[in-house]
Amino acid sequence: MVQTILTRLATSLLVIFGASVLVYCIMYLLPGDPVLLMLDPSSATPEMIQNLRVQLGLDQPFYIQFAHYFGDMLRGDFGKSMINSDPVLPKILEHFPATLALTALSSIIAITIGITLGVLSAIHRNGVIDFIARLVGLFGISMPTFWTGILLILLFSVQLGWFPAMGSDGFSSLVLPAATLGIVGAGFIVRMVRNSMLEVVNEPFIVALRAKGLTERTIMYVHALRNALIPAVTVIGMLIGDLLAGTVVVETVFSRQGIGRIIADALMAKDLPVVQGVVFFTAIIYVVLNLLVDISYAYIDPRVRRAVRT
Amino acid sequence: MNRSISWMKYMALAAGLVLVLSGCGAAGNSSSAVQASGGEQTGQAEGGNLTYALATSPDTLDPHRSGLAVTVRAIRTIYDNLVVQLPDGSIKPWLAKEWSVSADGKSYTFKLREDVKFHDGTPFNAEAVKFNLDRVIDPATKAANSLALIRPYTSSDVIDEYTIKVNLEQPSQAFLGNLSQALLGIVSPAAAKKYGDQLGKNPVGTGPYTFVKWDENADIVVAKNKDYNWAPETVENKGAPHIDTITFKIVPEEATRIGSVQSKQVLAAETVPPQNIAALKSDPNQQLLQANTVGLPYTLFFNLRKAPWDDVKVRQAVQSAVDVESIVKTLYLGNYERAWSALSPGILGYDASLEGSIHPDINKANQLLDEQGWVKGADGIREKDGQKLTLRYVDGSPNREKRNDIAAIIQQQLKQVGIAVEVEITKDIATVIYQNWDYDLYGNSQVNSDPNALFAFYHTSAEGERPTLSGLSDPKIDKLLEQGAVETDPDKRVDIYNHIQQYLIEQAVILPIYVFPYTVAASKSVEGIKFDSLGYPLFNDVRIQP
Repeated sequence: MVQTILTRLATSLLVIFGASVLVYCIMYLLPGDPVLLMLDPSSATPEMIQNLRVQLGLDQPFYIQFAHYFGDMLRGDFGKSMINSDPVLPKILEHFPATLALTALSSIIAITIGITLGVLSAIHRNGVIDFIARLVGLFGISMPTFWTGILLILLFSVQLGWFPAMGSDGFSSLVLPAATLGIVGAGFIVRMVRNSMLEVVNEPFIVALRAKGLTERTIMYVHALRNALIPAVTVIGMLIGDLLAGTVVVETVFSRQGIGRIIADALMAKDLPVVQGVVFFTAIIYVVLNLLVDISYAYIDPRVRRAVRT
Repeated sequence: MNRSISWMKYMALAAGLVLVLSGCGAAGNSSSAVQASGGEQTGQAEGGNLTYALATSPDTLDPHRSGLAVTVRAIRTIYDNLVVQLPDGSIKPWLAKEWSVSADGKSYTFKLREDVKFHDGTPFNAEAVKFNLDRVIDPATKAANSLALIRPYTSSDVIDEYTIKVNLEQPSQAFLGNLSQALLGIVSPAAAKKYGDQLGKNPVGTGPYTFVKWDENADIVVAKNKDYNWAPETVENKGAPHIDTITFKIVPEEATRIGSVQSKQVLAAETVPPQNIAALKSDPNQQLLQANTVGLPYTLFFNLRKAPWDDVKVRQAVQSAVDVESIVKTLYLGNYERAWSALSPGILGYDASLEGSIHPDINKANQLLDEQGWVKGADGIREKDGQKLTLRYVDGSPNREKRNDIAAIIQQQLKQVGIAVEVEITKDIATVIYQNWDYDLYGNSQVNSDPNALFAFYHTSAEGERPTLSGLSDPKIDKLLEQGAVETDPDKRVDIYNHIQQYLIEQAVILPIYVFPYTVAASKSVEGIKFDSLGYPLFNDVRIQP
C-alpha cells in the first residue's frame, strides 16, 4: 500500500511538472507582448519598453526564462503580478478559501442530491421519482452555468429577496453560487449512480442476499449502494476538480472573490506570472484529489484493497 | 449502520468546513460592516453607506498610472485637481485659487489654496504640485493616459509656498481643461514616495473621501473626509460629504449588477444595459440617471495606410452602405444617441450642422464601387485585379456596449454591396492595432474635455511617434489642428474645429456610431448623485433618505 502510494506520488509530481511546462509554453508562444500590455502603447517610448523587458528578464532565451521560473516555483516564489506588482502566491492563498468554500458546499449539494435521487430513481425505476431524477440530471448537465446562476439570482434575490445576488460576505452569499454549481454536479452524479445501481441490482450477489432473506431496504442501501458507489466516487473526484474549474464562471456571475476570478482577470490582462501561478496551484490540487480518490477506492472496495496489498 | 454513521460524520465535517471557510471570508470583509441597505441605519439624511456597483474593476487607484475610465469613478472621490471644468467648458478654481497665463501662452502661474491638507497630513503646497506634475512625466512612474493629458508640460518653478509657475513647450488651449481631469489628480508626495508603485493600493489625496480598503475583485471602500472644505463649483456641498462611506462593489456580470439593485443589495449600479432601461424607468422604487459622456463618440476609424481604404470613393461607398441609424436603434432601443461627427455633442466646437448629413444609400455605394473598378464576382464579393474586396474589422472588447454586435450588423450590411467583412475580436489591441497595424476598420472612443483630443487621432504622426488610428495625413488638417491647439479666441476655435469635423465626414475618414450615455440605476432613497462635465459621477452631494 505504502509503495503504491509512493509510486502514485512520483507520477503526480511528474504530472505537476508536465502541467507547468505546458502552461509555460502556451503562454510563451501566445502572440502579443506582455510589456506592451503593461505600458500604454500611446505614451511608452522604445527605451521604456526595452528597460522593462530587461527588468522582467524577458530578453533572455526561453530555456533560461523557464529554468528561472520553475526554480522559483519550487522555492515557493510564484513571482509578482505584471499589472500591479502583487506577489502571486499570497494572492492565491488569500483568495483560495473563498473558492474552497464554494467548491465544498457545491460538492455537498451535488453529492446529496445526486446520490439520493440516483438511488431512488434506480429503485423506483420508471416511476415519478425516476422521471424527476432524470429531468434533474438532464437539466444539470445541459444548462450553461452562468444561465442557471442568473435564473437563481432572478428568483431568489430579485423576486424573493432571500439571498444576496452577489458578494462574498458570509454564508448567505455562498448559497446561490454553490447551488448553481451543485445543480450541475448533481446532474452528473444522478446519472452515474442510477446507472450503476441498475447494473448492480441485477448481479448474482443481490439474488443471493435476497435468498438469504435480508430485507429489501438493507440489500439496497447497504450492499447495492456500496457497490454502486465505486464508479460514482470516480465521478465525484473528477467533479470536484471540475467544480474548482467551474468557479471561474460562477465567481464572475456572482461577483465573488476567488481564484477563478483571479485567473479570468489575469488571462484577460495577459498577466503571465499570475496565470502560471494559479495553474500550477490548481494542478497540485487536482493531483492531490486524484490521489485521495484512488485511496478511497481501497476503503470502499475490499477487492481493490486486496489487489493493492499483493 | 456503522457505515451510514461514518457517511454522516464526513458530511457534517465537510459542512463544518464550509461554515468555517465562509466565516473566514466574512471576517476579512467585516470592516465594511455597513451593509448594503445603508439607508436604514440612520434616522436622518446624514450618514449612511452608499453601495455603488461598478461594471469592471479599476486597474489601480494611482491616477497617474491608470488607463481605465472605470478607475475615475473611484479616484474622483479620493483626489482633487488644480482646476475644474464646468459643463459649459469654462475653467474654474479648485485647489488653485486663481491663475494667469504669460503673454506667449507658454507658462501658467497658479496661486494655490492655503488651507488644504492631504489625508495623511502632508500639507498641500506648490512643492506638492510640482512633485505631481514632474511625477507624471517621469518614465519611472510608468504613467499611462495621464502622460498624454499633461503634454506639452516641461517643468515647473516654485515661486513661493503657494505659488507655482508651470512651463509648457508650446501654448496649449487644452492644457487647463486637461488639468481638471481626474487622471491628473493631485496625490500626496509623501505617500507617493513611501509606497512607490504600490500607491495604487494605498491612495492618498486631498479629496472628499479617504481611502479605507480595496479587496481585490470585491470592493473598494472610501470614507468621508471630515476636514474637507474645498469642493469645486460643480457641486453644492463645499464641505465634508453627507454620507459616511461609499462601497464600490465590482460586479462585472450585467444581469447580476441590475439584479443587485433590484434586490436592494446595492443602492446604485452603473452601466445599465439598454434592455433593462425601460423596466427600471417604470419601477417605482428605482430611478435612472443618465449623463452623455463628452469627447470622441464611439467611432470607427478607417486605416488610411492600407489599400483600398486610402481611396476616398471606396470609403464613401462604405459610408453610404452602413445604416448607422438602424444599428443604433436596433441595439440600444432608443437609449443611446446616434453620433454624427468626430466629436460628441456638448464639447466646445461640436458641429451640429452635421446632424442628418448622411443617409444610407445602397445605390450610391454600388455606383461608387463600380466606378472604382470593383466588380462583383460569382460569390457576390467584389473583385479587382484578382483581389477580393475584404475589410478587416477589429474589435478590442468582449462585447462592451454591444460593440461586437455592431461589427456583426456592419458585416451583414456591407455584404449587400459586395464587401466581405472579416471580424476579429481580440483583447490584444497593443499588438494587432498599435504594433502590426493589421486592421482596416477599428472602433474607439475617448472621454475628453477639449476638442484638441482630435489631434492625437488625425494629425500626421511625427517620425518615430505612434501613428494615428486613422493614418490620416493632410497638411491642411494638420495646420488646422495645430491652430486649434493654440487659438485663444473661442469663436475662431469653434470655426477651426467645425472645419475639421466637416472634412472628416466628407472624406469619410471615420464612421461615427454612438454617443455613450453613462447610466446609473439607483434606489429612490439616494439623492444628489451628480455628473461632471465629462459624465463621471460626483458623490459630494449624495444623501441617503431613510
